[in-house]
Amino acid sequence: MAIPIESSPPPGWDREGIDGLLGLFPPGRLSEIVGPPRSSGGSSLLLALIARITASEREGGRSGQVAFVDGMDTLDPASVAAAGADLSELLWVKCGGRLRAALSAADLLTRCPGFSLVVLDVDELGPVPASAHLRLQRAVEGSDTILIVRSARHREGTPASLVLTARRLAPRWIGLRPLTRLGGLRTEVSVLRSRLHQTPVPALSPQGRGQGEGSCWTVDWML
Amino acid sequence: MTRIACVITATEPSTPTALLKVALAHSPRVENAGSARVYFDATGLEGLFGDEAQLGRRLREVAAAAGLDARVGIAGSRIAALAATRLGPSVAVVEPGGDAEYLAGAPLALLELPVEMMARLSRWGLRTLGELTALPTAGVFERLGGEGVRLQRVARGEDPRPLVSWKAAPLFEESVECEWGMESLEPVIERMHELAGRVCARLGASGLAADGFEWTCRLDGGRGHEGALTPAVPMTDPDAVGRLLRLALEARPPSGIVYAITLRAHPTRMAAVQESLTDRSRPNPRLLAATMNRLVALVGTDRIGAPALLDSHRPDAVGLHAYSPHPGPAQSPSSTGGEGRVRGTDPVLALRRLRPPAPAAVTLASGRPVALRSSRLTGRIVAGVGPWRASGEWWSRRPWLHDEWDVELADGTLCRLAHDGSAWHLAGIYD
Repeated sequence: MAIPIESSPPPGWDREGIDGLLGLFPPGRLSEIVGPPRSSGGSSLLLALIARITASEREGGRSGQVAFVDGMDTLDPASVAAAGADLSELLWVKCGGRLRAALSAADLLTRCPGFSLVVLDVDELGPVPASAHLRLQRAVEGSDTILIVRSARHREGTPASLVLTARRLAPRWIGLRPLTRLGGLRTEVSVLRSRLHQTPVPALSPQGRGQGEGSCWTVDWML
Repeated sequence: MTRIACVITATEPSTPTALLKVALAHSPRVENAGSARVYFDATGLEGLFGDEAQLGRRLREVAAAAGLDARVGIAGSRIAALAATRLGPSVAVVEPGGDAEYLAGAPLALLELPVEMMARLSRWGLRTLGELTALPTAGVFERLGGEGVRLQRVARGEDPRPLVSWKAAPLFEESVECEWGMESLEPVIERMHELAGRVCARLGASGLAADGFEWTCRLDGGRGHEGALTPAVPMTDPDAVGRLLRLALEARPPSGIVYAITLRAHPTRMAAVQESLTDRSRPNPRLLAATMNRLVALVGTDRIGAPALLDSHRPDAVGLHAYSPHPGPAQSPSSTGGEGRVRGTDPVLALRRLRPPAPAAVTLASGRPVALRSSRLTGRIVAGVGPWRASGEWWSRRPWLHDEWDVELADGTLCRLAHDGSAWHLAGIYD
């Protein structure tokens, strides 16, 4: 059962909550972020994760390399940089709308040790075949790489260890009538499937939220 | 007593090693001082070529046979030998022990000093090497430091630096011939793999790596097949090189029966990478190079790399740089240029850019968009802000002008519309 948890009003950024959300993705496993790539917040979640991995050096941590396999060439590097990512740590592979090329590229990159995160963004290219899911899962097993497939719809029977769904709640406009600018978007991210933690884990924030199936986060993405 | 010969030519030799060959024909210790000047050790050559004057004349003859108009100077130091070639006859010999006296009248320019040092000495009124050596050493040291003392010693013909012997760059090349010919690609790849193993072994023994490989195949009918590959990083791993060669040959196989293969490597010194216990692991350069080559074959050269924001306000001003996994100085996000929107670690709403922007039909009411119809999105616009006008490069042949709107469709989708003065486009979708 989903547990609705509202984040604070603007600035609306709950660092503990988002850190807990970003910390869900397990290394050596296949994860999925599903939800229509139309203002559901899935891409923003990916950018936050990329920023966390590539730029953690500035926060005293250890930066890592990220490979982004872009099925439809829709990545906006300006957004990536704005999220705080170090672009020099990002390998961008543009596949030009070819699903097969995107799957092959993700497979190759997953088998190349050393990447902290490999993202396969298939946008609306179509469902990823179950065999490809299985192959990717096998490729990433035993490595330290986080592998995430971003797709519009979840396909039953995939070997993903973690499936997050994203959906929009409401946009945030700044200014009374007339509006002056778009301020951001409030979205909800929930755990559709988790094979990692079958039992509830201690709360990550004062409000308390788990990591098992049904857990959810409300995040305000800023523009 | 050491004797040094200097050979110079008035014009650049046709080949870089022409003058070196002339010197190497007379002495094994030759220093290459540029394409038009060499020094060599002329000590103890009397038994072979006669006295030093005869040696000088012989050098001129050999150089002339090679098409070079050479001047020869022989002295006890490099600087004196060079002065002899510049100031003396075509063959000039400075008697042993006479370097300082010979150099006294030589111009300061002979020292080939940096511009700043030359200007400084000129301001002191110095014109010749003799005037420099006549200065008190303590005063020179106070004003110029150790470099000044060194220059004084050189100006007296006391150059302690030994000759740096020239060595030909090693050639890393291996060949194999097959009398019966190879009709299919697989045996060619196997032979190429063997050659790669031999070349890589030699490279490894020399402490080098290869940043490029070239191969030549001799085909039937006297035809040839050539190819080259440039790995992303210098390599010495024969298996990785073999995989790259396989990919290259499969992409462009020889068009005939192969009778001989020659594989040549471009040697380079590979900087050692110190792994860290605390940093996250990074892709192995050799494995990454093989992966990158496969990716390039998959998506194309211009579709892979590290994104970089260009110094432009043009929407989607993005370039791709070569991706390097080696750790470097941390790049501040604010130094990435671009549109000045770099903010740090805020939770940022991502824009999914449509490339190219999708043509759209937009209905306006009172100058504001109220409906959108495009191949990606269609719907009534319930809220929107704009126009955000941006323009630039009006001074170039590609001026641009954009009016951008952020709009919300009835189904809740947030997107960015752009009007370039003539047509509407769906520039991207917020996600």
